[in-house]
Amino acid sequence: MDKLRAKVRTLLSEGQVAGYLGYLIKDSHPLPHLFTPENLEEVDQAVVAPDNARYPLDKLLIPLAERYPEAAFAIQVRGCDERGLNELYKWGQLDPEKVVPVGVACTQEQADYCECPGPWASVVDYGEKCQPVAKSLRVEQVATLAEEDAFQEWLGAFKRCIKCYGCRDVCPMCFCKDCSLEHEDLMSTGQLPPDSIFQLVRAIHMAGRCIDCGLCEETCPAGIPLRVLYKKANALVKDLFDYETGSPTAGPSPWKMLGEEATLETKPM
Amino acid sequence: MELRAVLTTCPYCGVGCNFIFEVLDGKIINTMAAKTGPSNAGSLCIKGWSVHEFIQHKDRLTKPLIRRDGVFKEATWDEAYDYAASELLRLKDTYGPESVAFVGSARCPNEETYIFQKFARAAFGHNHVDHCARLCHAPTVAGLAVSFGSGAMTNSFAELEHANCILVIGSNTTVSHPIAAKRLMKAQANGAKLMVADPRKTQIAQLADLHVQQNLGTDVALINGLMHVIYKNGWHNRAFIEERTENFPALAEMIEQFPPERVSQITGVSVPDIEKMAAWYAKSQDSAIVYVLGITQHTTGVDNVKSLANLAMLCGHIGRPSTGVNPIRGQNNVQGACDMGCLPNAFPGYQYVNVPENVAKFEKAWNAKLSGTPGLTMVEQVEAVHEGKVKGLVVFGANPVVSYPNANRVQKGLEALEFLLVLDIFPTPTTALAHVVLPGASFAETCGTFASSERRVQLVREAIPPIPGKYNWEIIPELSTRVGYPMKYASAAEIFDEMASLTPAYGGMSFPRLEAEGLCWPCPTPNHPGTKYLHKDKFTRGLGLFQAIDFRPPAEAPDDDYPFWLTTGQIFSHYLTGTMTRRCPTLHHENPEVFVEINPQDAARLEIEAGEKIRASSRRGTIEVKARITETVKPGVVFIPMHFLENAANRLTNAALDPITKTPEYKVCAINLAKAA
Repeated sequence: MDKLRAKVRTLLSEGQVAGYLGYLIKDSHPLPHLFTPENLEEVDQAVVAPDNARYPLDKLLIPLAERYPEAAFAIQVRGCDERGLNELYKWGQLDPEKVVPVGVACTQEQADYCECPGPWASVVDYGEKCQPVAKSLRVEQVATLAEEDAFQEWLGAFKRCIKCYGCRDVCPMCFCKDCSLEHEDLMSTGQLPPDSIFQLVRAIHMAGRCIDCGLCEETCPAGIPLRVLYKKANALVKDLFDYETGSPTAGPSPWKMLGEEATLETKPM
Repeated sequence: MELRAVLTTCPYCGVGCNFIFEVLDGKIINTMAAKTGPSNAGSLCIKGWSVHEFIQHKDRLTKPLIRRDGVFKEATWDEAYDYAASELLRLKDTYGPESVAFVGSARCPNEETYIFQKFARAAFGHNHVDHCARLCHAPTVAGLAVSFGSGAMTNSFAELEHANCILVIGSNTTVSHPIAAKRLMKAQANGAKLMVADPRKTQIAQLADLHVQQNLGTDVALINGLMHVIYKNGWHNRAFIEERTENFPALAEMIEQFPPERVSQITGVSVPDIEKMAAWYAKSQDSAIVYVLGITQHTTGVDNVKSLANLAMLCGHIGRPSTGVNPIRGQNNVQGACDMGCLPNAFPGYQYVNVPENVAKFEKAWNAKLSGTPGLTMVEQVEAVHEGKVKGLVVFGANPVVSYPNANRVQKGLEALEFLLVLDIFPTPTTALAHVVLPGASFAETCGTFASSERRVQLVREAIPPIPGKYNWEIIPELSTRVGYPMKYASAAEIFDEMASLTPAYGGMSFPRLEAEGLCWPCPTPNHPGTKYLHKDKFTRGLGLFQAIDFRPPAEAPDDDYPFWLTTGQIFSHYLTGTMTRRCPTLHHENPEVFVEINPQDAARLEIEAGEKIRASSRRGTIEVKARITETVKPGVVFIPMHFLENAANRLTNAALDPITKTPEYKVCAINLAKAA
């Protein structure tokens, strides 16, 4: 932790950033925290989020950066968080010139749990690089099911949805002002469970955007294997468009081809 | 530049989820589920995720208001205090102290509720102080106290995941306690059998391994029927009955009269389903019961609760992990408000007022003359207003005009008051009738504690300063001082410490000890770890008491004039009278207006189309509702949610009361439906 704290202290005291978005143990709980030069002594208490208490810091950075557009911020990132930053840069939500990553390498245990192909950030200020997990066994397992069985299994999971919108609300990539899940032409309102298309609409929006942090699945009260769905969606985007979601070198998102404005009217074939 | 993450506890239902407020330069910009919350473990429901949408809403009351000649005018705090105190003193002097009654809140922290009931009791010398537990779980408090000696959820939420069989009865869990439903779904994924008894085909009913749709108000018959089958088959737990209970012969004699065929006739549940339920519940190793207001909001509420206690004791499914009788409380701090003695028959810690030693204890502690006579319950207070006995009412964070049954009569009563003082965070139909309105600080603007359903006392932390400029725990003592009973506290923690010193179950708690994950009462000493599940080895009362309960039908049944059974309840995007949730855009989007669920057969017969506005009438009132045609309800039964004050379901409901707790029968009455003219 010393290396990470030293880096943060330097960034803050030298005025390279206006603040560092990281974690602090407060009230006996690990919580997101904005460290500032005014309270430099707090950096002695800065921690890396425990594996079971990760929060979407990228998402928290968006309103902060919006409010202080001139300021630069440092932010604690794991591999997934940094993929998130890369996508947010592409989507114009954050300015890469104004963000300094403070990188964390995940433990092998965490990487295995996440089936993560990129379990470290481009800079590592805490932790040791472990073995990445190239293939998702969970996705392969679903692929072995007969189509009808898979369909029924997914429908069974979707029936448990209590429409908390937690998958969206926790997602660092859900920054849209108008959400399709609340679009009156796409989704009915007022009842549980929601339309079974609910998860599918979200899955389509996650394709090429999901950075596989897994926070959605962790927050889902219904235990819906959302991560499997989005990993699969991303795999399809990779196959179809050769687009690696969250990669800094993959070029613009394939969805940019939709142009400035997309409408819901049917298009001529 | 200030961005803070403030960990706190949810202000809605009794599950007690923890979340983090993200506060950017004094504005609460977001709500995030706390991964370290003991009851929610990183999840929230739609209401929880949207909490920040109402706190700094433009409609918040920010200044005291005084109504003179029918017009509200802004006032200074001093003017409002002085006017309120002079009116309360005038009533006290003119009509006697008993002419002023008090309604507390299950939404406010323990500290505020504790000093509120202290104010009522010490400054007025009577016990006319009650709160909305009367309307929901009073039968739980009363029923389980008689059966077990303690009226609270016996086990903790996390334990439910490891039950082998769960009977959910009268609980629309995914709607009203969504994060408790998380545990039920997890249990099912772990292999548990999930049984749901509910007159409606709710989401949790659709997910269940067995759903039975009992007729409204027939729970006692159903439960007696289950016990009949269990006993006849010898599936009961003889050793448990012998060692841990008393009065079993009386129960045996009663359930003898409930063979499945008769029960099937009363309840509408098939004989094979009754037998299957009985077998699953009795023969699983760890079976748990989960129930909510579908059990309590009946004229037989206490009977229903006692019957569930009988069932658990019959099989010995209590006093162990992942079993028990688990009433999930509807409000963030309804458990706490009961614990705090905001009840007309008990001082804090269920120390009953009719025990002279208890009166003496609190007289000494509070330095005041107290009454040993139980006071008026909420609905009785309204009747006393109509009778002219109560002239003044102090309402602290409650909305009786929408939440009480037979709302038209409540409104008339409140209009007749000489003085009505209301503290709330938003204008409501109740504040509209007040003579003085005091603006309250919401839970986000104060420190304190909530006690959740699993008896877990958790901290509430201040995210922003009080919007009206004062903490509620400053307002009550100021008022009390001005009516002649001086009170002053420097902090919420100081109030908590005083309360804990007088309340044995909280005796070992203090703010520092509650920081990490709260403590579940009883926690009598400073090194006691708290109590995860109750009644291990021994019931609170010693032996568990079986009680023979006979079936009584509901107070009102359909007839030619009012041919439909009406039941009321909540919907997933709103909460109680909607003063908070209906101001949250995310929640409003889901359900902007009131509706009635009606079966397709009934809709076809009345030629009602989906979405059509229709009139719903009972003997007590009429409202306009939109038709939602659905198989969720059986033919002959309709459902109207309670949240919409402009067409409040409670204008229809029946104020028939449970004889013991005076809890109204919100869950059953007779109505008529007709096309709007």
